[in-house]
Amino acid sequence: MLAAVRSATLIGVDGQPVTVEVHVSSGLPAYQVVGLPDAAVRESRERVRAAVLSSGLEWPQRRITVNLAPGGVRKTGSGLELAVALGVLGANDALPAGVLDGVAVLGELGLDGSVRAVPGTLALVDALARAGVSSVVVPLPNASEAELVGDVRVRAARTLGELRACLKGEEPWPDWDPPAPPADDGCATGTVDDELVDLSDVRGLPFARQALEVAAAGGHHLLFCGPPGTGKTMLARRLGTILPPLSHPEALEVTRIHSAAGMPVGGQLVRRRPFRAPHHTASTAALVGGGSGRARPGEITMAHRGTLFLDELGEFAPSALDALRQPLEERAVRISRQGVSLTFPAAFQLVACSNPCPCGSGGNECRCTDAQRERYRRRLSAPLLDRFDLRVRVDAPESDDVAGESSAEVAARVAVAHERQRARYADWPWSQNAHVAAGAVPRLLPLGPEADSVWRELIADRQLTGRGATRIRRVARTIADLADSAGITAEHLESAAAMRGDVP
Amino acid sequence: MSGPDRVPLDPVEVAAATLASLPDMTHRRLRALIERGGGPVGALAGLERGLAAAVLCEGASTAELPARQSLARAWQTAARSDRTARTLVARRTRVHVVGRPGYPLDEDLPDRPEVLLAEGDVPEALDRPRVAVVGTRAATPNGLDDARQLGATLARAGVTVVSGLAIGIDGAVHEGALDAGGAVIGVVATGLDVVYPRRHRILFDRVRASGLIMSELAYGTQPRHYAFPVRNRIIAGLAQLTVVVEATLKGGARITADFALEYGRTVMAYPGSRRNPASAGANQLLYDGATVVLDPADVLLELGFSGSGARPEQRALPLGDQAAVLEACHGEPATLDQLASRARLSPAQVVAAVRALERDGWMERSRGLCWPR
Repeated sequence: MLAAVRSATLIGVDGQPVTVEVHVSSGLPAYQVVGLPDAAVRESRERVRAAVLSSGLEWPQRRITVNLAPGGVRKTGSGLELAVALGVLGANDALPAGVLDGVAVLGELGLDGSVRAVPGTLALVDALARAGVSSVVVPLPNASEAELVGDVRVRAARTLGELRACLKGEEPWPDWDPPAPPADDGCATGTVDDELVDLSDVRGLPFARQALEVAAAGGHHLLFCGPPGTGKTMLARRLGTILPPLSHPEALEVTRIHSAAGMPVGGQLVRRRPFRAPHHTASTAALVGGGSGRARPGEITMAHRGTLFLDELGEFAPSALDALRQPLEERAVRISRQGVSLTFPAAFQLVACSNPCPCGSGGNECRCTDAQRERYRRRLSAPLLDRFDLRVRVDAPESDDVAGESSAEVAARVAVAHERQRARYADWPWSQNAHVAAGAVPRLLPLGPEADSVWRELIADRQLTGRGATRIRRVARTIADLADSAGITAEHLESAAAMRGDVP
Repeated sequence: MSGPDRVPLDPVEVAAATLASLPDMTHRRLRALIERGGGPVGALAGLERGLAAAVLCEGASTAELPARQSLARAWQTAARSDRTARTLVARRTRVHVVGRPGYPLDEDLPDRPEVLLAEGDVPEALDRPRVAVVGTRAATPNGLDDARQLGATLARAGVTVVSGLAIGIDGAVHEGALDAGGAVIGVVATGLDVVYPRRHRILFDRVRASGLIMSELAYGTQPRHYAFPVRNRIIAGLAQLTVVVEATLKGGARITADFALEYGRTVMAYPGSRRNPASAGANQLLYDGATVVLDPADVLLELGFSGSGARPEQRALPLGDQAAVLEACHGEPATLDQLASRARLSPAQVVAAVRALERDGWMERSRGLCWPR
């Protein structure tokens, strides 16, 4: 007897539909799983058997073969167990024929027959919906998350026995509580580490604030360099408060990734842009993804559509930092494993802080020797530094400096600048100035005659490379967008050049 | 095979260079050899007739005698080789010998080098006024900046900068002079074919191309800690004036300054904070009577250059925003943030003002900081 149940497994942060085929035939009692299962899937045998028996159902004392198709994809995790159990029941004639047509099943089983939550429900259901599945059965705690996908009918399962009764039409499907409403709109004020933050907390530093605003508006990577305690970190942590909230497609994307990585999303869309601040001892795998066993998304993928904040940039392992270079360019990271090559999205904005030298003061009081400073500087490779469009020196504010604008005021300007960019790049595959392809810069970011002469002067004075010059031009465009100006003026170029200092 | 510009090898120069490259040679031994042999050629010939043993064993204790005698035999063997002559040809080395025209030092100096080897494309560097600029390897950014600026000022006035090609002040002054298109002399404490410190490989090449590298030591001599203070007397001797930019209390720069004072030359020093260990040596020199340098042009004045030519030409004073920004610097490096806050200007105004000040030479900018010059 044969039964087939649709389910799905995670590959990286994406779902992959899987068909679970169960064949029960005469022969010595045996249970075999084929089709590249990993250890967790193979282990499921005992759980499935115990769950079936605990639910008061019969376990066929015959030869059971479970095949997971497609055979070439490695299946991971325990989310296939419920599908296997239903397959066994189906193949054993314990389910009416046809009830599982067009239905996909996700869930892990407990020994008592209860159905437990699985990570990555959103990604799995999304993949199933694309594959044409009209209805999914998910564990009750994942039901509201699965509903986010939209165009698929979601059913919840609490126990295997109840699920069988529901499928047979003997019992009504269980209901679930809607998720708690979002605490706040996450726009005007952000919370970081449960601390309320706003840009008006920062005194003075007009130039650094402007750099932060430009970074938010144009998606430019930003490096603050300065002595400890001057407000670099404070500023950087407030970037999220001036960024517009995620759009609906972006929110779906981010929620899917976070759910697949096993972060609790609470059954609702992530609306606030992610802000990830890994510690400087983070390994290369922790930053860019990979690791032993199942390839896991790294911090850069968790920061997709948001901010990756690296405090004390010079303290990170140089190898880990250099691994960021390719994802910074391609906005995705490819991880190759035995047999598979995974692509994790990584469209993050990099914000980093660094001290100018080991003693930190950098200025007149610096007592570091030239050799010490040189060694410290060499920890940050030139190609990495080059990828920061904005490199700003920050020192302590003046004693009589007053608080600056609030996040809401700045966020309004940033939103306008975003709108201008969206309109300009409607026909292009990017939506922010920072991502304009170098080849398209002369056409899309034209300079007037006056700006052009300043531009040439800048290149000659600062001995800019073609790439460095292009970066300044993109930043100048963002400054112009923030000023609601149609063209790039000489003043915008000068400001952009000043924001790309030769720090640290 | 000989260099294009120096065809015949001078027998005196070859003899002197050969003597200088004998094992364990010191400048005292070399002087004794040449004086007793009646000149380098005579001394080289005299080695075979027991001159080596006579010079080496004079005043040696009985315990030292066997070692001295074996060294004398080693000298005799080494002197028969023509390796030095071949190297001189291959590397187009110039040999300066005491008593011959072109010897660049004062021959009355008590511990003058008998032989000086020089390599480089601009031998005329020796014909100009020469100023030694020395300082600590552990220099502060301000010290390095002062050194670079002084190097450039001297170079523009046509003065040859003499220094030791070390890390820190030495390297910075060489760079400053080279960047300004000047001639420089680097005196090294190794053989001329050894690059030490390795980090200055490119600087060595630049010095060769725009000046001279000099040494009294044989080709192949590796760096030894005791060789550096000995080398410093040549730096002091070559220059008519020695400037100390930053020096620690006990460092090579102090030694150079002491030699310069011993030779009766002027010593000048840059003052620094009493809290800055890298300035302690320079401050001590000032306390002991060295001439103070408040502006690089002071060095030119001390050399006797006319004030009008040496001082920078008069520029129009900055006005408006520019004046406010320059004032806001408080004479120290400041960030654009600090300038904007202090001058109460918008970031864009500050950027424009700084750029204009930079263009007119009122301000410098590096590593995200601006400072008045």
